[in-house]
Amino acid sequence: MIEIKGLYKRYHNHHGSDWVLRDINLTLPKGVSVGLLGRNGAGKSTLLKLIADMDTPERGEIIRHSRVSWPIGLAGGFQGSMTGRQNVKFVARVHGGGYDVHDVIDKVEDFAELGDAFDEPIRTYSSGMKARLNFGMSLAFDFDVYLSDEATSVGDRAFKAKASKAFKDKVGQASLIMVSHSEGILKELCQAGVYLKDGQATWYDDINDAIKAYHEETNPTAKAKGTSDKAMPAPAGAGKPTASLTFVQANQRRIKARARLDAAKLRWEQGKADGLPEPQLAELQQAFKRARNQLHKAKQTVQELQNGEG
Amino acid sequence: MVQPTNPESTRRGRTPWQVTRSVWYAMFMREAISRTMADRMGWFWMIFEPAAFTMIMVAIRGFIRGDQLIVGADFIPWMIVGMMGFFLVREGMLRSLGAVDANSALFAYRQVQPIDTVLVRTFLEGMLRTLVFLLFIAGGLMLGLDIAPDDALLAMSFWFSLWCLGLGLGLIVSVLGTLVPEVAKVVRMLTLPLLILSGVILPLNQLPHWLLEYLMYNPIVHGIEILRLGFFEGYVAVHGTSGIYFWLFALNCLSLGMLLHVRFVKRLKAK
Repeated sequence: MIEIKGLYKRYHNHHGSDWVLRDINLTLPKGVSVGLLGRNGAGKSTLLKLIADMDTPERGEIIRHSRVSWPIGLAGGFQGSMTGRQNVKFVARVHGGGYDVHDVIDKVEDFAELGDAFDEPIRTYSSGMKARLNFGMSLAFDFDVYLSDEATSVGDRAFKAKASKAFKDKVGQASLIMVSHSEGILKELCQAGVYLKDGQATWYDDINDAIKAYHEETNPTAKAKGTSDKAMPAPAGAGKPTASLTFVQANQRRIKARARLDAAKLRWEQGKADGLPEPQLAELQQAFKRARNQLHKAKQTVQELQNGEG
Repeated sequence: MVQPTNPESTRRGRTPWQVTRSVWYAMFMREAISRTMADRMGWFWMIFEPAAFTMIMVAIRGFIRGDQLIVGADFIPWMIVGMMGFFLVREGMLRSLGAVDANSALFAYRQVQPIDTVLVRTFLEGMLRTLVFLLFIAGGLMLGLDIAPDDALLAMSFWFSLWCLGLGLGLIVSVLGTLVPEVAKVVRMLTLPLLILSGVILPLNQLPHWLLEYLMYNPIVHGIEILRLGFFEGYVAVHGTSGIYFWLFALNCLSLGMLLHVRFVKRLKAK
């Protein structure tokens, strides 16, 4: 069980600092896997770091009644100049006690499937390889709670499947607190959900409810944006005065006209530079002007359609 | 609450001391490998650097002819002892300077504290320097130099004391140098003048009294002079050398360094 009481966190920077997390009160029960949801910058990774005790909150406290892993994922934990094997050795020794270092190394080597790269310095690793190693390492220890910060997102298909299987095998012995933008994985592995928004956390007993809440936040805003956004072609309404063209078609025409105009202009200027005789130049100029008029018309059509639909 | 589910789980409740010890062990093995194996010829430079330094200094001093100014000790052993003592302090300080930054990735594991990196590095450095010093003594004896310590106990205790001073300074600069990068630059700059001001190459004895009054604020001088007293029985140390002053300074550095680490542990980890 992990209790979070009155947690406040902010990062100091040069231009003031806003609360990333504001008065978070949660109790994460033992044996229940929790998915953390929220938009980028909502404080998911910060909360995870705080739970892992990598960072300290401004106010409030986190009480851990169980063995919590480090946040498994993209961020750090490796010394770049040391090989994968040496890093694993280090972590195994830090966790000390009953762990047999060689046993841990064998397990990790087996799981991460890095081959010869296991004895190369970490700085030569790709992000996917680092994630595999970090993931494999965390599985070699018996934690009660695993913290995962997009741990599986960089891996390839086979690794993702392996990782989810590894987590599923741990069900019953260990639970999971995971940050992920992949809803499939969240639904697959988590039972409960926490939704972070504006520094506040809301607990949902069912991960599906949390995902729904997350969608409700993101979708209405997207819709509101879509109507005002030119780039986003709004669906043509049925009740409107039907123009001969749809918006998309008109827009395509405009783009083509623009291309024609550019080509005509280029030809005309090229002709001038090459010193072509006067009648030929006049012809090119005429072509340019025609193209300009066409573009103008196309633009007007687009404008009208847009106003009509808006 | 937590019930052990398998016999392995007995490791669950490790005491803070056990945790710290396993962190020190892990860090020591790591640092030892990267210090001695990482660069090519790491071992060679560790021994060759002071050796080359001694040879250059001996050549220069032989040219200037200042040997007779030292009372009660031969010049070359006198300088080797001083230089080793000074390097012990200097390396303790400089190695600590980068310790926190170099290991910042490892603070992902909450067992690892910033102070551990400094302690482990300084300890390793002390061990290596001791080994190199012993090699030098053995080599010097074989070459017929009078470098065997006359009062081994005093020599050893002040070798250890100098290490403590290096650790104290290292603890302080590791915090300040990490939080304020400018401090690190100043500290690096200070080491060369300190080499001269600490009486490693030139004996301080013949300097005017008014200047000596200021130079003797430097604790390294006291440490080195007493270390030399341990090596050479009839040696006349610089006037005003005081073991008490040295130890007060070292203890103050140690406590200030530890206080700084306690005070700024969060900021060091967050870096």
